[in-house]
Amino acid sequence: MDKQKGFVENIAEKFWKFFSSVKLAVTLLIILAIVSIIGTIILQNESPERYLREYSQSTVQLFEFLGFFDMYHTWWFVLLLFLFTANLTVCTLDRFPHTWAIITAPLKPIDDNMLKALPFRKEIPLQGDMDKVREKSANALKNHGYSYIESKDAAGVQLLTQKGVFSRFGVYITHVSILLIFTGALIGSFFGFKAFLNLPEGSASRVVYLRNEPMWDQLMDSLGIAKSPVIHDPQEGLPAMPLGYYVRCDNFDVDYYIDPSGMPTGMPSEYHSTLSIFNLDGEKILDKRIRVNEPLTYHGVTFYQSSYGIVPEARGKVILNIRKKSDTQSPGETVDVEPGGSVFVPSINRTVKVLGFAPYGMRNTATGEVQLFKTDTDEYINPAVALEIYNGKKALYRTTILKIDSGGQMNMPEDYVISYGGYWGKRYTGLQVTKDPGVWVVYTGFIMLCFGPLIAFFGSHKKLWVRIQSRGSETIVLVAGSANRNRIGFERVFNKVVAEISG
Amino acid sequence: MNSSLLFSIATLSYLVAMVLYIGYLAFRKKGIGTAATIVTVFGFLVQTAALLLRWRESYQMDIGRVPLSNLYESLVFFTWSTVMIYLIVEFKYKTKAFGAFVLPVAFLALAFINVAGINSDITPLVPALKSNWLFYHVLISFLGYAAFGVAFAISMVYLLIDMEERGSATNLYAGLAAIVVLASIGYYMASLGGRMKTAFWMAIGVLILAWFIYLIVAGARNKPRVFLFWSFCVTLAVSLLVAMGIDFVYLVSFRHLAAGESFKKHIFEGTFLNASPAISIISWLVVLAFFSLVWFKGLSLKNILKPYIPAQNLLDDVTYRMIAIGWPLLTAGIITGAVWANSAWGTYWSWDPKETWSLITWFIYAIYLHSRYVRGWKGTQMAVISSVGFLAVIFTYLGVNLVLSGLHSYGGMN
Repeated sequence: MDKQKGFVENIAEKFWKFFSSVKLAVTLLIILAIVSIIGTIILQNESPERYLREYSQSTVQLFEFLGFFDMYHTWWFVLLLFLFTANLTVCTLDRFPHTWAIITAPLKPIDDNMLKALPFRKEIPLQGDMDKVREKSANALKNHGYSYIESKDAAGVQLLTQKGVFSRFGVYITHVSILLIFTGALIGSFFGFKAFLNLPEGSASRVVYLRNEPMWDQLMDSLGIAKSPVIHDPQEGLPAMPLGYYVRCDNFDVDYYIDPSGMPTGMPSEYHSTLSIFNLDGEKILDKRIRVNEPLTYHGVTFYQSSYGIVPEARGKVILNIRKKSDTQSPGETVDVEPGGSVFVPSINRTVKVLGFAPYGMRNTATGEVQLFKTDTDEYINPAVALEIYNGKKALYRTTILKIDSGGQMNMPEDYVISYGGYWGKRYTGLQVTKDPGVWVVYTGFIMLCFGPLIAFFGSHKKLWVRIQSRGSETIVLVAGSANRNRIGFERVFNKVVAEISG
Repeated sequence: MNSSLLFSIATLSYLVAMVLYIGYLAFRKKGIGTAATIVTVFGFLVQTAALLLRWRESYQMDIGRVPLSNLYESLVFFTWSTVMIYLIVEFKYKTKAFGAFVLPVAFLALAFINVAGINSDITPLVPALKSNWLFYHVLISFLGYAAFGVAFAISMVYLLIDMEERGSATNLYAGLAAIVVLASIGYYMASLGGRMKTAFWMAIGVLILAWFIYLIVAGARNKPRVFLFWSFCVTLAVSLLVAMGIDFVYLVSFRHLAAGESFKKHIFEGTFLNASPAISIISWLVVLAFFSLVWFKGLSLKNILKPYIPAQNLLDDVTYRMIAIGWPLLTAGIITGAVWANSAWGTYWSWDPKETWSLITWFIYAIYLHSRYVRGWKGTQMAVISSVGFLAVIFTYLGVNLVLSGLHSYGGMN
């Protein structure tokens, strides 16, 4: 037969055979499992200095050559994944027609030949006429949830029934879901990007800085079909992706867990930023307070709270809130002032000078004195602000206020309370920015992958035949069946059906 | 009444149940078996109450989070799931024979928590963990791990019963020599610095995998080699548990840890990595002696147990069922983790060591399922794959946090 085929067909057939083998699948799974270990032991995507600290020069060169420092994106690992995908696709296509034939095949009355192949068989000789036995058998099947069809021939009656045909789809749902996940990942790397943006409080940006450029843009650009929108700045070196709108950081802050005495523990409970989106004409479109696990998505681009830090050259402003002691309802007056500067507050007719700012202070409840603690400069655990209050040019008193301050009111001798409202403009919020148009394909795959194996493992295609023939004065009932999964469970049902028919 | 008291009662119940199940195997008295089941169910209910109470306590402390978010809680939950799955198997298959093998796993895991000095305080969550996905991800993953744990216990029984001969003593000598040589190379390379440690772990990984592949390919035929593998697994599990127990006693009594200092940094300092060479050599000698003991006495153990163990194809079938439950759960665990990562960091897969190891585990059990469904394998090879799969589970769960580093650092031992 091979001689009739051309060279190309022969090669194609060999390829098909090669990729449709389960041996290849298991081999690839083993290889993938082994090589994946490498990347978990060698730190991935670290700086060259770090690697040189850990390994010798020649080892670094060898690992670099083998791509071990970014192993999961090397050509050979991607090739392995590709082979695995090809194998999965071919295996699935190769076996599906056969499964489809089984699924769509009408139930056929049983003959002695077929009978031999069935794992469960039981012959029951019964007294009584055929109709009665038929009735009893039909009831037994119905009792176990099998709806039957009836077929009559010269020798007698047969009841044919099957259940769980669709469980045969389980394995295909599983395999297709994995292919969908790969497809989604591919769409993501072709049309999406991963980027970051460090945005100081109060500033806005219309670009984000790319960690990887969308492959589609690169491809189109290098083919000369369409220019990539990515801006390559020769000075900064970081490729930037224009957003088509502005994103602004209105505010960034860290909340800390409070201990039972009401003081912050220094353990962060939440990082959050308030982001605003402006169109290119400067009109505000929306704002949202994002936190870890709660990003902002706008026009397919998602902004995640990822890190924060200090802007070295920035001068922050202390925000103060002032209200009359008697007037607890009003929001009071809010002013902002740089450390070292002063501001006139009309509502109390006083000038407030900020002497200094410290990130972490605690008030000694006995003496009322404020003790300052060291923190990382970017951690404002319980900020303390030293103030001097003036009436015109005349200094009245000095005091220190804290963000969380139990005895704060007592340090305000006059008829108003000054409270801490924030320290703004000194920090930046670190945003992870991604665009992934493939994520819904991946999620569809995820959902199918949750159900596919359940259907494949716990569903079972069960078939039952009851053949009723009269032989002399006896009625001979033959019960036969098969199940492609969970034979033990099926055997139990089978035995019950047999018992009900003979009982 | 607080949750730690209830946890202690549960631990004690599992200890009693373990003794009763072993007694049941030894004496075959129906009453002992019934008592074992009653004590196990009691321990399980107490532990369930303890978990719920701990959840409530976290709300009373104004932290309010599910009791599934650090190593302590995950270990407790792991034992809870293991006992639950065991009880289901016991009722479904109407056999109490597995109790003597599964209950020790549950008891040892709980004892390990106390012995290894894992912090049991209810601590607040770091921001990245504050997500509803935490609950689903950990719950599903640990139910899966528990199913694999039961599969492992049954596979170990299978392999023991499967052994006909332990083969010539050459096998034992080869095993002992391998331990000695690998340990020496390990010490030597570790003394050369961190990078050599990496190389050593890599070499160990490759060797274990090569052995694994060899066993699967030639497994059913070469019973003495599989028996060696069995002895190795038993030795590994027992040595790790005992060494960590000694570590705890050693660190608490002789080397007070500074506040906040991680236990992880000092692991095995009580034994294999002790400052005194004599102690580390003695530790290794004990390991070698134990290995030899297991190897010499394994078959006698088999002969004692054989009459009480269900038929081998039932063992094989239960193992398969456990994996058929565990694998979809592991899949769902990986998926919920990926969805969570995407909502926290904007990427559903970042090849971090924990993710990668869970995927490796997933591959191994996928190999199990395909060998069974498509190639129709049964028996010894399947039991070997199931054991290796569980070794990968343990490494994913504990090893990654102890040996490697990555996003899942909060699962660590501090």
